[in-house]
Amino acid sequence: MWITSKFKQIVLALKPGRVTLGYPLTPRTAPENFRGRPAWDHTKCLGCGGCADHCPARTILLRDVCPEIRVLLYDGSRCTYCGRCAEICPEKAIVMTPDFELATGSRTDLAQSLELFMLTCSRCGRCYDMENRNAVDRLGLRGYRYDNLEARTVLRRTTERFEPDVLAATETFERPTRMEE
Amino acid sequence: MTQETLLQTLRAEFGAAVTGPDPAAPRRLLLDVERARLPEIARRLIALGARYQVGVGSDDRARGLGFGLIHLFAFDKSGFTTAIRTSAPAETPEFPSITPDIPVAGWTEREYRDLLGFRFPGHPKPKKLILADDWPDGIYPLRKEVPYNLVPPAAEDVAYQLDEAPPGTTMVPVGPFHSSLHEPAHFAVYVDGETIKGCDYRGFMTHRGIEKLCQTQVSYNEIPFVAERICGICGSVHATAYAQSVEEAAGLAVPRRAEFIRVLMLELERIHSHLLWLGVAGHLIGFDTVFMHAWRVREPVMWLSERITGNRKTYGMVVLGGVRRDISPETAEDIRSVLKKVEAEVLGLKAAILKDSLIHKRTKGVGHMPKAEAERWSLVGPVARARSIDIDARRDHPYAAYNELSFDVPTADSCDVWGTVLVRLLEVFESVKIMRQVLDKMPAGPILAAPQEALPAFRHGLSMVEAPRGESVHYVITGEENRPERWRVRAPTYTNLQGVPRMLLDNQFADFPIIVGSIDPCYSCTDRAVVVERGTGRERVWDRAELTTLSRAGGK
Ligand code: SF4
Ligand code: SF4
Repeated sequence: MWITSKFKQIVLALKPGRVTLGYPLTPRTAPENFRGRPAWDHTKCLGCGGCADHCPARTILLRDVCPEIRVLLYDGSRCTYCGRCAEICPEKAIVMTPDFELATGSRTDLAQSLELFMLTCSRCGRCYDMENRNAVDRLGLRGYRYDNLEARTVLRRTTERFEPDVLAATETFERPTRMEE
Repeated sequence: MTQETLLQTLRAEFGAAVTGPDPAAPRRLLLDVERARLPEIARRLIALGARYQVGVGSDDRARGLGFGLIHLFAFDKSGFTTAIRTSAPAETPEFPSITPDIPVAGWTEREYRDLLGFRFPGHPKPKKLILADDWPDGIYPLRKEVPYNLVPPAAEDVAYQLDEAPPGTTMVPVGPFHSSLHEPAHFAVYVDGETIKGCDYRGFMTHRGIEKLCQTQVSYNEIPFVAERICGICGSVHATAYAQSVEEAAGLAVPRRAEFIRVLMLELERIHSHLLWLGVAGHLIGFDTVFMHAWRVREPVMWLSERITGNRKTYGMVVLGGVRRDISPETAEDIRSVLKKVEAEVLGLKAAILKDSLIHKRTKGVGHMPKAEAERWSLVGPVARARSIDIDARRDHPYAAYNELSFDVPTADSCDVWGTVLVRLLEVFESVKIMRQVLDKMPAGPILAAPQEALPAFRHGLSMVEAPRGESVHYVITGEENRPERWRVRAPTYTNLQGVPRMLLDNQFADFPIIVGSIDPCYSCTDRAVVVERGTGRERVWDRAELTTLSRAGGK
């Protein structure tokens, strides 16, 4: 039994021949529908924040620097390529590209940021009222999510290590609760 | 037995100590039991033929209910489950321990001792299980007032006290990092010569706090994606189990086509996982031909997953109320052709290795654990089926579309690693069979029925999904802020690993890797290290190049 098994194993090994791929010397493309790096189309985005609200990794940050300018920052280093943002976006401003060769020494290589000009309300001067859910707000609710105003503006962000200068650079950055004596 | 007869039996025997069932858990028997009589009732359930699954501890103080503890029991032959709930006042979270009767409840109780500050008088081994050795006393991370991102200061010179070596034995440490365990875990193996006489385990070194994170930070429909990342091998299992438990709790209906697609993904995952495990098992006994070829056969399965879902492993298919991507007729054809190829290849693999005396010598009689012991330790999955315990959640507690599909549940009676190899190999063919049926029977229709309004709060849902390595249990209590109030995950390794010391008993030390490997423990690994300087607490991350130079220089 032992020796016949060994023969069968030789056949098992010889039959398929060489299966090792030539990658990376021979390039390999991802299949259609692959979920690679998400890419934003600046011209389509209306700044509703739906993607930021639904990102399971919380890696899309929104910040209103002034009433007219909203900044959307995508930190690709924590992205899980789930494609939820692209699915949620009402304007189809996000596409999941087939890019998968994303290894890099610097996380900023993976970041994308959008500066969005928002229309202000002629009466109150704000982009739009966030407490009374209006049409734009409702778009952000696709996929089922309701959050309070606070949770919306302060989108949490976690870094690997605590860096005071990062904290200083952004007001909406929440620092981890440290228990000093 | 049915749920009704069980309820009558318990009422007759324990009278007012058993109340309920609580309508908060539709389709399940959720009973409230008197705290003092908990061990008695649990014992009785086991005597009636129940299998202990896991406990769910919760902090209900905000609702004035103190602390809650739910023990879950499954009646596999009768196809239903029972949950018994007790509560304790906020000031004295004390529950009588059921571990002396049900050893596999040991970890559950130790877990809530760590995470919720419960006390279990009568527990035979009230030691730390989950929290780090230097985690300060008196901070219980799963309590509501503790922030999810709390980082207490690190302490030095604290170490876990391993069990004393039994007289006449010597301790051999395996881990925390060991080449045969692809995950940090520390076994202290007590040997007499080459024979293993006992073992203590210290694990949970990669505890990520996913339950706490999901109960406080993300929302219902983001959790499937987090759940999927609980395990790098059976991710779809966790996503499906989570979704199903919320759907059960909230009474959401899922389109039939979506249920078939979920089954399709679960079975595809099983094929990849079984082949992966077969390869690893071969590698652990030094039979690398098996490793190479099992993984070669597996690769087309990964590529197929990539074509169907957009990713080779994290499928991302499941959301509440259905799935995200449909199976087109072309994809169905693609699946059929890959299945045909894989089936033929696995047949060839089976023929080439099953009769090899090398495998027999390394696996037969190794990790022997008689059926009665395996039942006592509530083993699940192929490890249980290799010990002639005929359980399979797909057949016993059908979910998704399994009630319409026919398949066999292979078992073996050798009670050892050999049986596990056999069971897992045969299950590959069953999975192929199931997937073909799914493609034939799948009805047309929508694939998603997204929830339209807020989900009701404080409802209970339970879901059991047969993962490749055993039954995964998810328990959800719905909450008010668009996220679960409590979400409890029990992966199959949680129970199987508790049985490992018993499996190791009287085996040869050289068989340690394959015995531990036979339960297919969940791996998680990282190839970077953080070095913290003593005194200053400054951190520095060593990259791979530095580590390589360091190791080549002999660590000098
Ligand atoms: S792909 Fe997923 S993780 Fe990445 S940004 Fe989009 S939603 Fe977030
Ligand atoms: S969901 Fe789309 S439109 Fe809304 S902020 Fe994101 S990218 Fe812009």
